[in-house]
Amino acid sequence: MTISGPNSGEPMGLLDGVRAVDLTHYFSGPYCTKLLATLGAEVIKVERPGVGDPMRRFGPFASALIPETGGDQGRRLTHEEREENGAWFLYLNTSKKSLTLDLKSADGKQVLRELLGSSQILVENFAPGVLDKLGLGYDELRAVNPSLVMISITNYGQTGPRRDWKAAEINLYAAGGLMNITGEPEEEPLKEGAPLSQLGAGQNAFVATMVGLIHAEDSGEGQHIDVSIAEYATNILENAMMQYSYSGQEYTRVGNRGYGRAAWGIYPCRDGYVGIIAGPDQRWPEVANIMEREELADPRFASRYGRLVHADEVDALMLPWLLDHDKVDVFKAGQEHGLAFTYVATMEDLLEMEQLTARDYFVEIDHPVTGPLQYPGRPISPHSRSDAWVYRRAPLLGEHTDQILEDRLGYSTDQISRLRDQGVI
Amino acid sequence: MPTAPSSHSGNAGQPLRNFRILDLSRIWAGPYCTKLLADMGAEVIKMESLSVYDSHRGPVNPAPGIVSYPDADPGEQPWNRNGWFNCLHMSKYGITLELTGESGRRVFNELVSISDVLVENFRQGSLERLGYSYQELRQLRPDLIYVSMPAFGNGGPWQKYVAYGIGQEQLSGMAHMTGYRGEGPMKSGINHGDPITGSHAAGVLLAALRRRRRTGEGMFIDVSQQESAVALIGGEVLAYQMTGVEPERRGNRSPWFAPHNSYQCAGEDRWVTIAVTSDEEWLRLAEILGGSELAADAQYATVSDRMEHQDTLDALIGAWTADKDAREVCEQLQAAGIPSSPVMGGPDLLADDHYAARGTFVEVDHPQVGPKMYPGPAWKMSATPGRVRWPSPTLGQHNRLIYSELLGMPLDSIAALEEGGVIGVKPTGSRII
Repeated sequence: MTISGPNSGEPMGLLDGVRAVDLTHYFSGPYCTKLLATLGAEVIKVERPGVGDPMRRFGPFASALIPETGGDQGRRLTHEEREENGAWFLYLNTSKKSLTLDLKSADGKQVLRELLGSSQILVENFAPGVLDKLGLGYDELRAVNPSLVMISITNYGQTGPRRDWKAAEINLYAAGGLMNITGEPEEEPLKEGAPLSQLGAGQNAFVATMVGLIHAEDSGEGQHIDVSIAEYATNILENAMMQYSYSGQEYTRVGNRGYGRAAWGIYPCRDGYVGIIAGPDQRWPEVANIMEREELADPRFASRYGRLVHADEVDALMLPWLLDHDKVDVFKAGQEHGLAFTYVATMEDLLEMEQLTARDYFVEIDHPVTGPLQYPGRPISPHSRSDAWVYRRAPLLGEHTDQILEDRLGYSTDQISRLRDQGVI
Repeated sequence: MPTAPSSHSGNAGQPLRNFRILDLSRIWAGPYCTKLLADMGAEVIKMESLSVYDSHRGPVNPAPGIVSYPDADPGEQPWNRNGWFNCLHMSKYGITLELTGESGRRVFNELVSISDVLVENFRQGSLERLGYSYQELRQLRPDLIYVSMPAFGNGGPWQKYVAYGIGQEQLSGMAHMTGYRGEGPMKSGINHGDPITGSHAAGVLLAALRRRRRTGEGMFIDVSQQESAVALIGGEVLAYQMTGVEPERRGNRSPWFAPHNSYQCAGEDRWVTIAVTSDEEWLRLAEILGGSELAADAQYATVSDRMEHQDTLDALIGAWTADKDAREVCEQLQAAGIPSSPVMGGPDLLADDHYAARGTFVEVDHPQVGPKMYPGPAWKMSATPGRVRWPSPTLGQHNRLIYSELLGMPLDSIAALEEGGVIGVKPTGSRII
């Protein structure tokens, strides 16, 4: 694994030599381009001068004095703290370069066109039609670079009657069918704590980008890829959709019990919560041994169906042992008997988890405002390629503007000064 | 390359058609990886064992009442009629092969030698115990890209442990930050760890294939399902280090916006979600809820104010939505530019005009199921759209096609493998989780 500061030599990743222009903000697009950048592509994040990705101003921030809402309570944020300190921004924008550019100005558009002329990929997540109105729609950009792979990530896609509907994560999780099946049956449907629709769609967009890049290199033909976040959610419904499609019976909320299962979900234990997975059937007798309750070996509970019918009884028999044991011990007791028990990890647990530390999963990256932090690292590790992933801290707003204009586009110092004076950069 | 088994044999719009993936993966994470590739035209050969077929096919003799079969009827061959399996293997070839005997291993060696990629998500080390480590596989195919995706990766003290996608929600921190306010963690309705891992793996293996074209080198790609899942909550891992505060279970509220929640509507278990993400959106919502008086109320002017008064605002909005139709509420709010959506279930999704207009769900006619709706390709490409080319294979459906046309085996050799139980279409057992 290669870890390098923003100014050290350029390490080679799997996507070394690929250049991507990144017009994304918030979650979905930045996660797509984060994956490209950490695989070694040069990702140029284009941000509005003086403003940047709004995610820069989303907390939590490093100082406990600063209110989470980023408002005006407490002391005023310094400019640097406001722009460079949001946890999710720092995570989602590692290894990228930041170029500020006013896309409404003619000069700004010209800089973008020049960048696209020497790039293979453009990723954007504006609302549908925004780039078209700026004269930067796919048809215009294709004229600049016919083999350009342009990826647009939006709430509902580029077409269809709800194309222009506004949405936050909760709305997309609801519209994609995932929320309806999460939570207790007698309470309201529940969203995930993390923005999984947007991040999952961003990750799928990364796969689509690879497909488009391979095709462009095969044929010289570029294209426009339309990724809808709500559609990503519908794409991962699996049996929650198929059950209805096949038998007309709707999938319902079942709380922490697996659907059509028992002893298949989250339970309290002495110091937190654990995940109990009661299958496969032939392993169930082990649960009685682990939990020191012979009653659990009752033939009535031997099958998945039997446990479902007697779910409350099974829970009542497991709880005393669970509440008397710590989460890591419950997890390991199950695993040592071949059962896929888990525990509900807190952030503190993750940072100390022996499996993750043994695999060097976390990567320490320094940053001028936050100092060094442990970042979740490669999601995948190609063993035979030690330098497959490239880690640099997220860029400060406009940090690479001069470098990109000079080195990539050959602008002179005078030209750059003029653009800066005019507010284009 | 064998002829496609249906009339849809054209290669146009199939950008990955030149890649062959030998797919030993089961359940969901691996199959979702290869589904994304098959949707884009990759030649995916799904290999199963007659004694331990993909458990998503369900049991050989299912208990009554399982509704993942057409009309809840398992039929004579339930393993070919299960919706869990059939939504994840469209456009893949299905073969069976036992690796326990010499004749099966000879066939497998040939399959590896002509494949670009091998994908598996067995328990760590299972394939190696059968004599197929990466080093041994490379002898068969020097530039093979081998994607191994066990629960905790290849290496580390937990490498032999097992976990499913549901467990990765818990071990990744996702479950810790999900739940009703003041209550314990909550699992999702699906198993997020699976598609997240599958999608990660698909993207990286494509990057590796692209690199192989330049260098001629294959690669061993080690995928930890757990690490793939932790990657999606990374911002919270940083936030905890910056503040020392664990993420809070907030129900349907947001750390950034208010009001932001689900609200009950008219009808049984009908809900709408509303998220006010700016002061301007609040002013427009306030006009709708309570006219200019509410909009002018200074105690709700900023997001900090609205955070402080969330209980009041949620009660106000809930009273307004209670007797209204969820979709109509959204039409009205969207006309005012306020983020909102109904909470949609299976019937809503399949009847929805937007998804219908985009072809989000596609009808596929499976020989043992009949025409049913399935999720289609996960994104839309203007030049190379990909498509669902044929339904999920029945167990061993393409044995003859692959072994005869692709490997060029004589028919009497194939018949001998069938007689010896090395290949076939009738399961000899099942191991169901």
